[in-house]
Amino acid sequence: MISFSQVTKRYPGGHEALSGATFSIEQGELVFLTGHSGAGKSTLLKLIAAIERPTSGVVSVSGQNIGRLSRLAVPYLRRNIGLVFQDHKLLFDRSVIDNVVLPLDIAGIDRRDSLKRARAVIDKVGLLSREKANPVSLSGGEQQRVCIARALVSRPALLLADEPTGNLDAGYAADIMAMFRDFHQVGTTLVIATHDERAISALGGRTLHLDHGRIEGAAA
Amino acid sequence: MISWLRHQKHALTAALNRLRAHPVSTLLTALAMGVAISLPGGLYLGLANLSQVAGDLPAHPEVSLFLDNRIPDAQQQAIAARLKKPDIAEAHFVPRDQALAALSASQGLTDIAAGLTQNPLPDAWVVRPHDTSREALARVADELGKLPGVAETHLDSLWADRLQAALAIGRAGVWLLAGLFAIALVAISGNAIRAQVLARRDEILVSRLIGATDRYIRRPFLYLGALQGLLGGLAAIGVLAIAGGILRAPVERLATLYGSTYHLVPPTAIEIAAVLAFTAALGWFGAWLSVTRALHQVEATR
Repeated sequence: MISFSQVTKRYPGGHEALSGATFSIEQGELVFLTGHSGAGKSTLLKLIAAIERPTSGVVSVSGQNIGRLSRLAVPYLRRNIGLVFQDHKLLFDRSVIDNVVLPLDIAGIDRRDSLKRARAVIDKVGLLSREKANPVSLSGGEQQRVCIARALVSRPALLLADEPTGNLDAGYAADIMAMFRDFHQVGTTLVIATHDERAISALGGRTLHLDHGRIEGAAA
Repeated sequence: MISWLRHQKHALTAALNRLRAHPVSTLLTALAMGVAISLPGGLYLGLANLSQVAGDLPAHPEVSLFLDNRIPDAQQQAIAARLKKPDIAEAHFVPRDQALAALSASQGLTDIAAGLTQNPLPDAWVVRPHDTSREALARVADELGKLPGVAETHLDSLWADRLQAALAIGRAGVWLLAGLFAIALVAISGNAIRAQVLARRDEILVSRLIGATDRYIRRPFLYLGALQGLLGGLAAIGVLAIAGGILRAPVERLATLYGSTYHLVPPTAIEIAAVLAFTAALGWFGAWLSVTRALHQVEATR
């Protein structure tokens, strides 16, 4: 589903965030990205979602070459990818349900259907009683769950999560990791960047370790 | 197709909500646009009213030939023969007695005519040439004026022509002014929308991350611009209606003094619709310029 071949990403200014990364991830796999801060985990996820383009090498997602993807095609690629951000990136000018329904609005799905689907996924992350609340009034863990609901509402085949439990205490973190395990079990491909060693051992799955932009122990 | 309609509806709702969320700035922007558009609009209406006055004037330009007193029959016949040539559409002779009778009959002049001891009026021809362009009229008048026995020629349509020429300048001025204020309107709309785009930076960034196309992001802003322009057009019509209300009484008093029952002519429904469509289109265009530029900036600073 995802393959990197000799991928290097150099940012303007010369910092090389990723150097010669080569690996592939199969459909339905659960992969953890580990490594110190600045090791290139976020860059790697951004390359998959076409938020960044590789400086050299080939990034391929669902058979599409990200480096050569036209600007117009990027939105359609992203609709098949659920993104979970460390800082949630929720919109505070609207309710929880309006945040979650946004990807379906963008895809042009009938409002009544999309509200139904949004409500179902909010229920799944356990926030149905807060659907009308403004996300600003929610705790960090709840906001992260709203973010996950938004990433999942369009039923993407691929879910990318950047430090999804980074700011949460252990209890919340375990909840969220359990949620990810459920999605993995229904066939979603997950790539999760995390420091959370306990989560990795609890969920199993493959680990890609990054060190200064290089992949170590990439044996799959 | 259905999803396209859904997107339009969604964008329109979003735009309406954004307008309602900032009533004061919406109102101020609409007023700025309204005042800008009311200037060429008012000039246009003023000219339409003047044209109305000018339109009551004789449509067929005529040349009057006034003859010398007691000219020989030979000259009379020469003039009559000249007026039978094919460049003259119509010519009729007005003897001086008939002219005096007509003068006596016309209202208000009876007393003057009765007070005359002898008829001061000359014999005259009223001539209508085929070619009524200004140059042709002048040429005919000039030629006829040189015939022996003709004392004077008079182009009846001259002052009407001058008025028409002045009105033509005025109309050109309206379009010039309309063009300038159209640019102003695009700028006002673009500026208002730019502020909106910057205020919604987060929403734009997040929407992009979850698969929004530029068109999806742009659409509510375009509706916003068009609606803002529409409100501006309505404000302009409001300004003109108030101005018309203020001017009506004095204009009618002046008309009464001239013995006329002239009324101000309000704009037609089609003209009002055209102004609204025009301002909405300009608002849309300003929004398009602004949001396209801003989207590139948002992308650059990602």
